Amino acid sequence: MLRLSHVQWPGSEGHLSVPVGTLNTFLLIGSSMTIVMALAAAQAQQPIASVRRWLVATVVLGSLFLGIKGFEYSTKLAHGIVPSTNVFWSCYYTLTGFHAVHVLGGIVFNLVVLGWTRQAMLWQGLRHRLELAGLYWHFVDIVWIFLFPLLYLF
Amino acid sequence: MSSAHSSTRTYLAIWGWLAGLMLLGVVLAELPIPKLWIVLMVLALSSIKALLVALYYMHLKMDRRLLLFVAVAPLVLILLALSVVFSSHFIQL
Repeated sequence: MLRLSHVQWPGSEGHLSVPVGTLNTFLLIGSSMTIVMALAAAQAQQPIASVRRWLVATVVLGSLFLGIKGFEYSTKLAHGIVPSTNVFWSCYYTLTGFHAVHVLGGIVFNLVVLGWTRQAMLWQGLRHRLELAGLYWHFVDIVWIFLFPLLYLF
Repeated sequence: MSSAHSSTRTYLAIWGWLAGLMLLGVVLAELPIPKLWIVLMVLALSSIKALLVALYYMHLKMDRRLLLFVAVAPLVLILLALSVVFSSHFIQL
């Protein structure tokens, strides 16, 4: 609606790097694959070390995503591009900021599940929560699948 | 071949599709064609990617039909809500 109501949509005006956005998308869809692999390993009763490896990979990929997003933010802010610059940047900071908070929440959730895997007795009773962590993580991935083209490509 | 190996191969294949469709969207966005076409095609690709994640990574394909309904019903409501919101741009009362 904001875009339709602006005859001259400001856009990023070249201040957003498509390769960097593409790399971040690649990392996030990769993390969706690693967490579903963790779940598959758990359901196949594979050694807990296998589940832990895939979970650690998910946390690392999610953290890299946030690191790159932080780098993007810092370069924009260094160039004086802030949420009040224009309506595009208001949308950019709001959408990506809330998304980043959800990614951070997902990383914390995954770390908590990773902690449960350290105790065999605890893990037996809580292993179904890995599926819940996965569902949340995939939801965050799906949101980014739409945010990436809307902000970086159009 | 065990079902575990089979699902692992499926997950890797879906990841390949997701990465490929993402790169296709990036290439399409650079083509010298009307922007409306680019927006429609890239958003269609995003919808396919979201569907792949929901069906295979979120296991909607293997879940009961009731869960499929629970997932799809809100999408229909969102489409209805969006159509009402966007109609105000095209219809001047």
